[in-house]
Amino acid sequence: MDGFHAVPHCVGMESPKGRVGNERPLLSVVVDDDESVRESLPDLLREFGFVARAFSSAEEFLSSDCLGETSCLILDVAMPGMSGPDLQQELKRRGREIPIIFITGRRDDTVRARVLKQGAAGFLLKPFSDSDLLAAIKVALHAA
Amino acid sequence: MNAGRTGAVPPSRPDMNARVEDPAQQVRRLQRCISDLISLLALPAVWSGNEPSQIVDMVLDALLRMLTLEFVYARFTDPVTAEPRKILRVADSCTLPVPQQDVATMLGNWVERNGVHSLPPTGRQFGAEYISIVPVPLGIHGETGTIVVGSERADFPSQTESLLLRVAANQASIGMREAGLRREQKRIADELDRRVAERTAELAAANAELRRSEERWRSVFENSAVGVALTDLNGRFIATNLVYQNMLGYSDEELQQLTFLDITHEENVEENRSLIAELLAGQRRQFQIEKQYRRKDGQPVWVRNNVSVVPGTERVPRFLMAISEDVTHPKISEEALARARSELAKVASITSLGVLTAAIAHEVNQPLSGIITNASTCLRMLSSNPPNTDGALETMRRALRDGNRVSDVITRLRTLYSKKEPSLEAMDLNEATREVAALSLSELQGRGVTLRYELAEELPPITGDRIQLQQVILNLLRNGADAMGLTDDRVRELVIRTERDGENQVRLSVKDSGVGLTPQVAEKIFEPFYTTKADGMGIGLSISRSIVEAHQGHLWATANDGPGATFSFAIPCTFEDLSDAEADVDQSEPASDAA
Repeated sequence: MDGFHAVPHCVGMESPKGRVGNERPLLSVVVDDDESVRESLPDLLREFGFVARAFSSAEEFLSSDCLGETSCLILDVAMPGMSGPDLQQELKRRGREIPIIFITGRRDDTVRARVLKQGAAGFLLKPFSDSDLLAAIKVALHAA
Repeated sequence: MNAGRTGAVPPSRPDMNARVEDPAQQVRRLQRCISDLISLLALPAVWSGNEPSQIVDMVLDALLRMLTLEFVYARFTDPVTAEPRKILRVADSCTLPVPQQDVATMLGNWVERNGVHSLPPTGRQFGAEYISIVPVPLGIHGETGTIVVGSERADFPSQTESLLLRVAANQASIGMREAGLRREQKRIADELDRRVAERTAELAAANAELRRSEERWRSVFENSAVGVALTDLNGRFIATNLVYQNMLGYSDEELQQLTFLDITHEENVEENRSLIAELLAGQRRQFQIEKQYRRKDGQPVWVRNNVSVVPGTERVPRFLMAISEDVTHPKISEEALARARSELAKVASITSLGVLTAAIAHEVNQPLSGIITNASTCLRMLSSNPPNTDGALETMRRALRDGNRVSDVITRLRTLYSKKEPSLEAMDLNEATREVAALSLSELQGRGVTLRYELAEELPPITGDRIQLQQVILNLLRNGADAMGLTDDRVRELVIRTERDGENQVRLSVKDSGVGLTPQVAEKIFEPFYTTKADGMGIGLSISRSIVEAHQGHLWATANDGPGATFSFAIPCTFEDLSDAEADVDQSEPASDAA
């Protein structure tokens, strides 16, 4: 296990895989309007040792009770309504310093440069390998 | 003394009593005569400016006194008024028994009857008195009138008295003539004055009118909303209005030191010069030019000038007039627009291919990403202790599903892009629609969607690529179903409708009762990345549009009056221009199967 620790309080999470001692797992949130992503990524994140939750839109995430508990955000770039970068701005505005890893099917260097400048921890192009994702998460959490 | 002229001079009478005068008496008499003469000759000084009647009156008065006459009578034509006049003066000491009126009448008659020329002196009895009556002509031939004097003395007039009478008459004549002349002069002077006054008034009025007109035109010049500049034929500024000055940043005086070519941009000078030349040569009446001026501060300003020649008058030579409009801002916008357009064209040529590639990549990427994530998860699940086989199974199921999706996409893309142009055949849109609908029916029903058909009875055949168009229809059906996938409160019904559209087109529309569209969204959804549709096994709306447009048709979306949206495409029945040969070939053999 990679041993991420935290105390997630938000509702609806799956219990994490076996922990040693009193370490509490971290919450990782996926926001993507793509259903297959919402199906597959949380499972992978759980394999990493996270508690994982998925939302289909930025708005849904913002109005959830997970904001304060989220240790790491896996965020799609292009979504109907509020986009990924918009959510990044909004979280900043609210003073929520959540490490964000952007995932996107479209390569756009402008967007990449912008979100990284705004403090994103990572920017992954789909399809990405599980090791790429894990490495990015580690960077994100250590930087936080 | 006798003047020697007929009737002009009253002849003197010889002294009847033949009194002998001694020298002393003679001297005294002559002295008196001289003095009387002097008096008579001095009269003109007194009567200057008087009326003829007054003049005659004075003369008569003088005679009455000097010659101790009983009466004096004058009858004359007023030289000024041309009226006949009569004056009778009777001495205070005169003791005539006859009323004065009668005397005047009698004398008048006598003069008239006899004509003055041949009037000799005569005598009349007036009661007990015998009066000598002596006519004296006025004017050389008595044409002016006659004076008649009456004296008690039988020997009247003596030589000296005759002289005096003559001189007095002359004076009277002269005086009257002068009076006449003076009056004439005055009349002429008055007439002249009147005419001068008239003329002056006319001129004043004309001047006022001119000034008004000048003010009006000056006001036009100064208050014009556009710049106006007048130059001589060499282009040197004569006058400019404020707008023009402000446009250029020069004062009127400064401009008068310049010609308009001095401030024109080099690029425009040649054209400008040749147009002016044509203008001056009479080859054209005016010209229009858009050019750049250089302001005093060096900044450029774009203007549109209308230039014409103003013909000359007697006083003013011809000059050039320019109406000058500042078009800097429209010019800037034009330039910016042109630049933007060319940029856009460049970008557009690059991106159309890019868009397509990206669209394809995206369609493939989605499921691919799913495969990799699911497979990675699967491995981890299996390598955990104990292995999570249930989880592994689930992830593999998903992976397979995604794999199939990619496969479908590839297949369709192969078909789509195996030929550059659509492979055209005459086809029935209704038939193609029914085929597609049948294929997707189970899928739709699985999502709780019902399908309703409103296919036109007699739809003309169209020329199109059957497979491609079916792809589009499938796409629309799936989109419609997706839109309704989010609604629970109403019936999920898709209505497919075909109809003729105008003269030469057929239209197909798919109407849903889903979440609907705002007008902004209605266009955006045709952009490749507006939404991601992981469930879509077909192609995106952007590719659908490309296909329809390749068929020379249009694909669009509108919001319904009620809930939901309607997606429609319209395609012409007959294909314009290209590949008529290809169409013929296709029709000669039955439509070959597509991949």
